[in-house]
Amino acid sequence: MKTIINEQDRRNFVSQVETMLHDKLAKCYQCGKCSAGCPVNFEMDYTPNQIIKMTELGMQDPVLNSKTIWLCVSCNTCSTRCPKGFEVAGIMDVLREIATRKGIESKTEKEIQVFHKVFLDNVKSNGRIFELELVGKYRLKTKRLFRDMFLAPKMIEKGKLRMSGDKVSAINSIAKIFRDFE
Amino acid sequence: MSRIGVFVCWCGSNIAGTVDVKKLTEEAAKIPGVVEAVDYKYMCSDPGQNSLRNMIREKNLTGVVLAACSPHMHENTFRKAAVKEGLNPYFVEIANIREQVSWVHEDKERATYKAMDLLKMMVEKVKRDRAIEDVRVPLTKRALVIGGGISGMQAALDIASGGVEVILVEKEPSIGGRMIQLDETFPTLDCSSCIMTPKMVEVSQHPNIKLYTYSEVENVSGYIGNFNVKIKKMTKSVVEKDCTGCGDCWNACPMHKNVKSEFNINLSERTAIYVPFPQAVPLVPVIDRAACLHFKKGGKCVKCYEVCGPKCIDFTIQDEIIEEKVGAIVAATGFDLMDNSLYGEYGYGKYKDVISGLQFERLLSASGPTEGVIKRPSDGKTPQTIVFIQCVGSRDPEKGVPYCSKVCCMYTAKHAKLFSHKVHGSQSYVFYIDIRATGKGYEEFIRDTIEKDGVVYLRGRVSKIYQDRDKLIIRGADTLSGNQVEIAADMVVLATGVIPKKGSDKIAQMLGISYDKYGFFTESHPKLRPAESSTAGIYLAGMAQGPRDIPESVVSGSAAASKILGLFSKSEYEVEGTIAGVNKTTCVGCFYCQRVCAYSAISKEEIKDRNGNVIKVVANVNPGLCTGCGACVNACFSKSIDVKGYMDDQIYAEIRSLAI
Ligand SMILES: Cc1cc2nc3c(=O)[nH]c(=O)nc-3n(C[C@H](O)[C@H](O)[C@H](O)COP(=O)(O)OP(=O)(O)OC[C@H]3O[C@@H](n4cnc5c(N)ncnc54)[C@H](O)[C@@H]3O)c2cc1C
Ligand code: SF4
Ligand code: SF4
Repeated sequence: MKTIINEQDRRNFVSQVETMLHDKLAKCYQCGKCSAGCPVNFEMDYTPNQIIKMTELGMQDPVLNSKTIWLCVSCNTCSTRCPKGFEVAGIMDVLREIATRKGIESKTEKEIQVFHKVFLDNVKSNGRIFELELVGKYRLKTKRLFRDMFLAPKMIEKGKLRMSGDKVSAINSIAKIFRDFE
Repeated sequence: MSRIGVFVCWCGSNIAGTVDVKKLTEEAAKIPGVVEAVDYKYMCSDPGQNSLRNMIREKNLTGVVLAACSPHMHENTFRKAAVKEGLNPYFVEIANIREQVSWVHEDKERATYKAMDLLKMMVEKVKRDRAIEDVRVPLTKRALVIGGGISGMQAALDIASGGVEVILVEKEPSIGGRMIQLDETFPTLDCSSCIMTPKMVEVSQHPNIKLYTYSEVENVSGYIGNFNVKIKKMTKSVVEKDCTGCGDCWNACPMHKNVKSEFNINLSERTAIYVPFPQAVPLVPVIDRAACLHFKKGGKCVKCYEVCGPKCIDFTIQDEIIEEKVGAIVAATGFDLMDNSLYGEYGYGKYKDVISGLQFERLLSASGPTEGVIKRPSDGKTPQTIVFIQCVGSRDPEKGVPYCSKVCCMYTAKHAKLFSHKVHGSQSYVFYIDIRATGKGYEEFIRDTIEKDGVVYLRGRVSKIYQDRDKLIIRGADTLSGNQVEIAADMVVLATGVIPKKGSDKIAQMLGISYDKYGFFTESHPKLRPAESSTAGIYLAGMAQGPRDIPESVVSGSAAASKILGLFSKSEYEVEGTIAGVNKTTCVGCFYCQRVCAYSAISKEEIKDRNGNVIKVVANVNPGLCTGCGACVNACFSKSIDVKGYMDDQIYAEIRSLAI
């Protein structure tokens, strides 16, 4: 791939990411510790450290259209192990958010992108996850209503799938977090 | 009759574990000439040494053989013990049955057999040993330092402060070397001139330092303690003692357009009569006769002479040869930079705004051609974006040199940092292969440049630079993201590789010291004798040995100085007596020996009759230079030269002992 670095565009993108991330891209050593420990690295098109470098170089298009940002499961192994304390998992979140705002649709990870949206909506309205609603909406949007249905009885039995959701009491604080970020 | 004592050391279980020491001792006692053989756990211990001394005394020994560890370890210990009993130290021989036997073999029986062989050889050798006296060489307690860069200056100052007279020879019109060309220095960013000029003045004013600038060493002969040096003092066409350095002459010189300033690396012009830079030491101009109208046009122009108040300009002064005697020499000739035009793809020489790191130093410097304002050479505009390229020539075994130049990673970071401080809102990109920042505070300096000054580092090389209107387009790779990248910049700075000063090989040949294939002087031992050259009395300092930064250059200058002060602290220089000796009766004067001697220790000696007529010319060994390597012994057809302590009859007897 060839990238022509446009200094102004690069600075704009870097500053947008850094503002949302509350961290500095230049901190990264490019040592690869994050990528070494990432459990989904094998499926990614760019390793986590590559995503950081590409962001620093202002390579918006490939970064925002990458599989990597959607495959990241936010397990935080990377951030926990990073010798520079860089928010690796955080940058994935930031990039997902920027992609979403720009209306970029992932060509390969459509379902994950839907799940991401439904999940956040769910948290936004309840302050926590209401599993039944989450699963329902996700199934509806992906048009796969009956997939994994056989798991439901077992989950209900174990108390993992409650029939009615309840909101957290401090729902206003949750709303503020969302407002601040947006 | 030989009366030899044999001592077999166990070295704890080091030897006794693998060699049957009891059997070895029994067998040794049977060798003709051996009066007694004993074994002991640790011969090097006090009781061990005492048993050696007692036997020498009681049995009236003529020689001693120790079957023990390497002579490198304890030869000296045992020799000293023998001397205390009145024995010449060279009657002590060691059969190395540890490093050469017990440590390298497993089979006890065969190891014992081999130990016996080595022991027998040494007994035969010691029977034929002659007393040898160590050689004492007188010392001329003065030192010569070649090269007035920071390393040579440091050496000169330290030697001079130790009370020893120093002759400092510098090729250029001023001392200071490369360091005085630099702006600020990593990693602390202290201004180079500010820390350098006081030192330069100290050198020029030190009562023990005799400074020859615009001079070169032409010839060196002699040996440690006794070198004869010929210095060629090139004419400055100025009577130095009368010159006040007022500058009237260079301001009057009409030749102010055509000569590029060497000091500013072609970024400005200088006159024909010039000082390389305003803070030059000594502040005395020189006339560059190749550029001077007086010399080119048959004496027509005398402008400088006319304006000179003290009338110290003298067009007739000729080069002068000065002879000096010194006892030790420091070679500190420093470095040059590789030729950037090797890399056509970078367009150095084609695009004015592609410059070298040293040129960038001059642009940064307040006393430089732009008075410290960064302006690009093509149109004088201040650049907003600069691309720096590291490892230009270094680490490139194909086109350049395979070694790392060591300072470029750091000075590139320094350049990018200073650029960001001087031009707000500017941007630097650095292309690198690896970042080497191993000194104190160096890694932190690099991280600071990246994290605080916002310099973007790209791991990869540049393949091409081309011009697009007033921009330079740099196409390179960023291997970390796996991308080809293209950057439009206003200027490109190349971190050019370091090479030894041009002509350093000639200097090494003149001094008789070894140098590597690049021309860097080699140390006597890379780890344990880093300040010494391969030749006694000649010491090394600074970049002339290999790439290094200022702190390391200073340390090496001080190290060379302390070696010399140590040498001069004795009244005479003492060398082991195991050197070559010529049998002047049989020598036929073919001088094959002279050709093979790597230390130039062999000279010609005339043998005269009573009337003073020369009868023949024979070889003579200079004890100060001979290392006893034995190369001459092999070369001599008439078997007239031998190394004391290793005479032919001894070697043959050792070999014969194996046949019995
Ligand atoms: C662009 C650049 C930036 C650098 N920045 C830094 C920095 O920020 N910090 C740092 O620590 N280091 C820096 N360095 C390294 C530093 O310049 C060297 O470590 C230092 O100058 C070495 O000193 P030296 O005395 O060994 O050699 P030199 O400075 O080369 O001095 C050698 C002297 O010997 C003279 N000479 C040579 N041959 C003869 C001869 N035959 N007879 C008489 N005289 C002779 C020369 O004219 C010269 O004056 C930088 C190097 C470069 C290239
Ligand atoms: S572990 Fe941290 S420093 Fe290393 S590459 Fe990943 S983000 Fe960069
Ligand atoms: S110091 Fe750095 S830039 Fe210079 S040659 Fe070594 S690795 Fe390359």
